[in-house]
Order: sequence, then structure tokens, then C-alpha cells
Amino acid sequence: MLELHHVDTFIHHHRIIDHVSFSIEPGSIVGLIGPNGAGKTTIMKTILGLTKFTGQISIDQQPITENDHHALASVGALIEHPAIYPFLTGRQNLVLYAHDPHDLENLVRILQMTNYIDHPSKGYSLGMKQKLGIAIALLNHPRLVILDEPMNGLDVEATICVRQLIQHYADQGTAFLISSHILSELQKVMTQVILINQGRVIVNQPIADFNRLNHQDYHLTVEDPTVTAQLLTSHHIPFKRNDHQFVVDRHTIFTIQDLFAEHHLYLQELAPVETNFEQIIVRILDEQRRSA
Amino acid sequence: MRTSLHQEFYKLAHQKMTWLSPIILFVLMLITSYAMGYNESKLLTITCYDAPDWIILILVIVGSTTFSMEFQNRAILTLLYKAPNKFEVYLSKYIVLLCYNVCLHLWAMLITCLLRLTPINRPVAWSAIGQYHQPLWLNMFTTSAIDVLTTTFIISLILGLSCLINSNAIVISVSLLVVFMGQFVSAGLLNTNQLVTILRWNPFNMTNLTRQYYNYTTYYETSHLINSQLLMGTIGYTLAFVIIGYLIFRKKRF
Repeated sequence: MLELHHVDTFIHHHRIIDHVSFSIEPGSIVGLIGPNGAGKTTIMKTILGLTKFTGQISIDQQPITENDHHALASVGALIEHPAIYPFLTGRQNLVLYAHDPHDLENLVRILQMTNYIDHPSKGYSLGMKQKLGIAIALLNHPRLVILDEPMNGLDVEATICVRQLIQHYADQGTAFLISSHILSELQKVMTQVILINQGRVIVNQPIADFNRLNHQDYHLTVEDPTVTAQLLTSHHIPFKRNDHQFVVDRHTIFTIQDLFAEHHLYLQELAPVETNFEQIIVRILDEQRRSA
Repeated sequence: MRTSLHQEFYKLAHQKMTWLSPIILFVLMLITSYAMGYNESKLLTITCYDAPDWIILILVIVGSTTFSMEFQNRAILTLLYKAPNKFEVYLSKYIVLLCYNVCLHLWAMLITCLLRLTPINRPVAWSAIGQYHQPLWLNMFTTSAIDVLTTTFIISLILGLSCLINSNAIVISVSLLVVFMGQFVSAGLLNTNQLVTILRWNPFNMTNLTRQYYNYTTYYETSHLINSQLLMGTIGYTLAFVIIGYLIFRKKRF
């Protein structure tokens, strides 16, 4: 539904976004990840037609330009900070944009804002404002929602609630583009990962492919470690051994399974070594910086 | 456009200043009436108890917050992406301020009618002849209508400044300087007696429009333009400021 083709964004003649292309399908939850200053917020602002850009951006084949936002009629967003007028109550802030009162009430209930929604928003805490900002973004059943650091200021319960809400909307076909530094939270919901650095897309993959390709090592547990060690050594397959457990490279696991079958050895366990998502991201960024 | 207008009217209607301003206007008109009502009944009826000066003060404060509240509350991004284009955002804000401006003038005329009934004023009939051999009631309507144009000119300037400067306080200060010092700046320029035929068209001179209408002989000496010229100049500068303001808004980075 959302498509970006060779998008460049310049701010004060400085290229912030460099030939970015990607697409987002209905119902997908895309995590936009990158270090500070990578261009995440600028990409989001560019999609929302808030910056000057070259290239093409379209939603359902309807183009978006800096001065034509008709294609954004069914888009919700929370960029940088929640857009809240302090002289209005939380409910009035929602009424300002809501087309359907039932939808408004539903969001207030799900986001557990009932107790304070009729209070002036100038007295809201950071978390309360954030929830209100998320509610504004989700109003009117949008087809695409863009969330910039949605978990900022949220407590554990609110974080879980927002995560479930995102999943619920995605199940109904709403696409999400979410940037967050809390990668563990993002990891729980996202279906696609886009990693950017210095305004360029480094990785754009479904999360399943990303996990598979970036889990480099597998550990295997065997009945007879001594024979296994001899077999691997004789076939020049590198491994690390820890008692009954061996750690081997991802590329060797099919060869190992063939050898075991040939020598009537039996596997007790074969699984990828759990690698922290943050560590993978840091490693990819390091590799990219070294190759640049 | 309807959605943008609804949003702007909704925000204006929920701001305290919107409802406080008519009360302030009433108090200021009452003070003016008490201070000089007995001796200047005719003039005060024509000028709605000096309402043009008070209304412009209110509009500077309300108008300067129109854009700055969006910047300060960081709501400008939401406002922009939800609107079909930037022009609609700018135009809806402008229309809402114009409506508020007209409402304040109608309110001032209503208060004038009420104040004329009080014993503070020397009784003068509505049909009494005022300026331009016209009855007093017509003078009041015409002055108010002309002042709507003068204040619209100021609103255009305020909106342009608001797009240029994010700080509400600076916008208010600069706008007040233009409104209240403008005529002195213009008079200073014209007193040099050089290039008067050109300099009399300076934008500061247009702030004299309302005052000149109800006090032609005094203000013509300052403005060097007849009423119709001042009117054309005001309308021309209003359009120019609206266009410049929109271009600034369109080019602004958010």
C-alpha cells in the first residue's frame, strides 16, 4: 500500500535521506531502526509530506507531495511529540480529529484513559500525553499508522497495552511503520525490519528472514560427544565443545546431519544460538561502517 | 476545507482568551464612555467608544497565538499532514480570525447601543448628522466596516509574522509596535517632505484608515492620501501580506 521509490530528502542543501526505496503491505508491522541521526524521523516526515523531497511516495498508487496530502486521508501518525492542545481536555483533543464517537470511546477504554480523559490535558504526565498521542494516531481506523518512538514515557502495563493494540489493528489490516530505540519491544510485534544508517537503507527484510540469516551459530547436543568430536575434526568442520554440547557454524549443519546419519549418530538437540536483537543490529552497523 | 474550519473554530471556541476578550472590550468601552462620554457623545458613537483601538489590541493577542500555539504545542505536524494542503491550513486560520474580528465589531456596536442608553452619555439622536452629512447610525456602521478592513490588514501582518517567528511574545511585540507606532513612523517618513508621492503609500500609513475616516481633516495632514486611496492601499497590502505570509508558511521547515 505504501511505496517509496528513490526518495531523497534535503534539509538546508544537506542530503538527509539518500535514495530510499521500500514498500509496506497492509497488515504488516515494519520496524524502522537506526542510530540517532540516521534519518528515521525525516523518513516519517517525508512520507507525511512534511518535507521537500525528490523521488516518488504513494499510498495505493495515489502520490504524496509536499503540498498534496489527499493520499494521507487514511493515515494516522505520532511524530516526535504528541500533538496536544493544553487548553483542551483529552477528549476534546480527540474530538478535534474523530469522525466516529464510538471509535473514540473504544480507544479511550482500551488505552485505559477513562479516569482522566475529561481533565484538562495541561495536567497530563508524559505517559498520559503519549497514550493520547497514540489514540489520535489510531482514530478513524487508519490504513497506515506511523509511530515515532511510541513507547516513550509509557509504564510496563501501558507498553503491553499499546503493543497488543498495535497487533490488534494490524490483524485487521492496518499497516504500521514504527521507530523505537526499545528494540526488545519492537521485536515482539514487527513483521518486517528496515535498518537505516546515514539516510540509507541497509537492511529491508521480513523479520523471519532477518532472524534466520543473522543467527550465525547453532548448538547441537549429541549422545556420544567423543565420537562426534572425532568425526567433525576428521571432516575439518570447525566447532566449539562444551561437554555434550557443540557450537557449529550455520553453514555446516546440513553436512553434519548427513555425516551423523551415515555414522548412525543421533542428535538430541539442534537449535540456533540465541542472539540478542540489539547485538545483531550493532554488529550490522559496525560491519557497514567498516565497509564504508 | 470544512474539516479544517471546524477544527479552527473548535480550538478558538475552547480558548479562554476568546471569551475573555469581549468582557475586556466591554470594560474598556465603559471606561472610555465614563471618561469622555458626556462631551464627545457623537464621536464616541461613531467610533463605538474607541472600540477600533481595543479590538486591534485583542486581535494582536489572539491572532499571534494562532500559529504559535501550533508550534509551541508541536501540533503543527499533525495539523499539516491531516490537511489536504498547506494553503487550507493557512486559509482556515485566516478565515476564523476574520470571523472573530467581525464578531468583535458586532459586539462593539451592540455595547455602543447599550451604553448610549446610560446616563453617562449626553443624549444624541441616532438620526443626528455626524460625519460626511450622514446620520450617526450610518457613521457607526461605516466606521465599523472600515475598521474591519483595517484590522484585517493587521491580521494579515500578524499571520505573516507568526509564520516567520515562532515566539508568541515577539510576534505580539512587533505587531503592537506596527499598530501603535506605525502612524508615527509613517508621519516621520512623510515629514521629510521628500518623495512624498511615493512614501505616502508605505504600509505603516494604512494603519490610519479608520482614524482618518472619522477625523478626516486631522489625519489627511498625516497620511497625504484621501480616504479611497487609503482604502485601496489597505486592501492591496492585505492581499500582499496574505500572499507573503502563505509563501513563508509554505517554505517553513517543520
